[in-house]
Amino acid sequence: MAALTFIHQNLLHSTPKLTTSKPNLKPKRTKTKLSIQTIRESPQASFTDQFVLQLADSLEDSLPSSSSSLPLQKLRDNSSEALLSTQWPSRKDESFRFTDTSFIKNSDINPISHPPNSLDLLEVSRDTQFESFNFVDGFLVDSSFSSSKLPDGVYVGSLSKLSSEGILKRVCELLGDFEWGDLFWSVNGLGAPDLMVVYVPEGCRVENPIYLKYIAVEGADKGSKKMPLSNPRVFVLVEKGGEVGIVEEFVGKAGSECYWTNSVLEVVVGEGGKVSHSYVQKQSLSAAHIKWTSVRQEKTSTYELVEVSTGGKLSRHNVHVQQLGSDTVTELTTFHLSVGDQTQDLHSRIVLDHPRGYSQQLHKCIVAHSSGQAVFDGNVKVNRYAQQTDAGQLTRSLLLEPRATVNVKPNLQIIADDVKCSHGAAISDLEDSQLFYFQARGIDLETAREALVFSFGAEVIDKLPYSFVQKQVKDHVKALLKSRRKGSS
Amino acid sequence: MGKNGSGKSTFSKVLVGHPDYEVTGGDVVFKGENLLDMEPEERSLAGLFMSFQSPVEIPGVNNIDFLHMAYNARRKKLGEPELGPLEFYAYIYPKLDLVNMKTDFLNRNVNEGFSGGERKRNEILQLAVLGADLAILDEIDSGLDVDALQDVAKAVNGLLTPTNSVLMITHYRRLLEVIKPTFIHIMENGRIIKTGDSSLAEVLEEKGYTAISAA
Repeated sequence: MAALTFIHQNLLHSTPKLTTSKPNLKPKRTKTKLSIQTIRESPQASFTDQFVLQLADSLEDSLPSSSSSLPLQKLRDNSSEALLSTQWPSRKDESFRFTDTSFIKNSDINPISHPPNSLDLLEVSRDTQFESFNFVDGFLVDSSFSSSKLPDGVYVGSLSKLSSEGILKRVCELLGDFEWGDLFWSVNGLGAPDLMVVYVPEGCRVENPIYLKYIAVEGADKGSKKMPLSNPRVFVLVEKGGEVGIVEEFVGKAGSECYWTNSVLEVVVGEGGKVSHSYVQKQSLSAAHIKWTSVRQEKTSTYELVEVSTGGKLSRHNVHVQQLGSDTVTELTTFHLSVGDQTQDLHSRIVLDHPRGYSQQLHKCIVAHSSGQAVFDGNVKVNRYAQQTDAGQLTRSLLLEPRATVNVKPNLQIIADDVKCSHGAAISDLEDSQLFYFQARGIDLETAREALVFSFGAEVIDKLPYSFVQKQVKDHVKALLKSRRKGSS
Repeated sequence: MGKNGSGKSTFSKVLVGHPDYEVTGGDVVFKGENLLDMEPEERSLAGLFMSFQSPVEIPGVNNIDFLHMAYNARRKKLGEPELGPLEFYAYIYPKLDLVNMKTDFLNRNVNEGFSGGERKRNEILQLAVLGADLAILDEIDSGLDVDALQDVAKAVNGLLTPTNSVLMITHYRRLLEVIKPTFIHIMENGRIIKTGDSSLAEVLEEKGYTAISAA
């Protein structure tokens, strides 16, 4: 599978608009059979990586000594075992071909073993404008959210405080059952100090979104090699016909620069259920941020993800959506912004095994720094029984500086023979015709560029389902783009 | 007026500084200044306006934000204080009636998903908001239904004052019946080959361009 690498050569004179296929290609039914090879996410080495082993040891040492509940213990055991045969990923592994993780490896990784002191917590809760559930350095702390606002039967909170046997049994059945995880998945599985459970019972519609705020408090200075590691983990289970909105926001406390957040979110959507997921990543520009989102969808269920990632020196989002029944709806919409020496990476995989699935993916990224990078590997797999699948995928990148880099690898693997699939990739500078339209109305080129760059991302931001999230994300992106402009002038 | 391909649109695009065209010779003097020395935005701020025949879509940019930006650029040029969003809303609201548009029109993205008629109305709305000493309206009547044509014509007539000028490009007499031109110029191969009063349109309608070229 060929990957595309484009380096923006000249800002003013060339408009590299390259398409693998027309972005606006009218989808048509294809009868083409493509032979595919099975690609394992990473070749599993049989021997042990000493570095990983050491990391696993320090993770185990960091865990609270009190005995944990059964599902969590099972998860730790499995993860610990997996780590024994997993190596730190290198550029030779297909899924890390364009993503250099040595920045993390070369740091002094230090798993955080206890939540910060109460003074810091106070500061954190004062900072939060909306009622939220707060993770601080991977630990779930008392939330500002009053549970009385939740409908009957809904549980949101720590696994350790879960009293319902029924829910516990369901969590036990489903937690961590995932064959596609990589090293970072297992690191979280071993190192997560707690598990947050969001449970929505059958037929229940949760009106207000569940707002999860992940705050990194412990952080080293930019220059030091130290890298405190946190492993927050959330499990969302929506039973048949249930509906819930999840908002995840990742931030670093002001002054915390260098840290590593390694987060996992698992979602199971029951028959006819719906999960609307908003994911906003605003980490420090010196931080490492790795996230897994694993979704399993039963028949006629809906999962919608809107992601906006702007922070982190290295930020990677792995999304895996597995279809468990027919007639599912899956929408992934992503906006990545690199305004500094940053890598923004999205690795997504949608696996369709049942008829009449619908999946739509839009990935947009802006690289606004000469050593900035964006990576997109979007795989949609339409297997033999996934007839009448309707799958679309589009990636659009905007490179604003010479040497800004984007590596995109949109790919569809189709085995079923009666499907409607389209995909496209476009990499470009801003459209001249649009810039001229601004100028013709008296708006100078710089202002026009700024408005157009912002509007490029606004298409995704506008899809965030809650206006309060939309507004704060817009303000944040505007400020980042402004800081870039100031920095360059 | 003039045949297809005679250079009417090209001429107007050159005047406003479209980047697709390079001027190899000559001057264009507008209010005592050479237009060709100016950037497109400076030409606009100097009082020149052109309505696009097919204006581009700008996804993600709100119509009202766009107008606000353009209007404030103008005020800045005139040395007047820029208007805040609320003040601007108060300023623009009455203008909507002029082109017979609903308020939600302002919250849509610039030209995105606009019908042919809406695009033309939007161009006229921009003219109404920004004002111009010389407005070039390139086929403002094409693709308009009868009612929309009346709206647009009414708006243009309302904007005409003794101190400004409108240059219209059209193929049809229909428009000229509602906006009365002082002169009609016929262009062929990039040159004005005939100038007359509004009666020229009738001759055209009856006998076609061949009659004019031959004469």
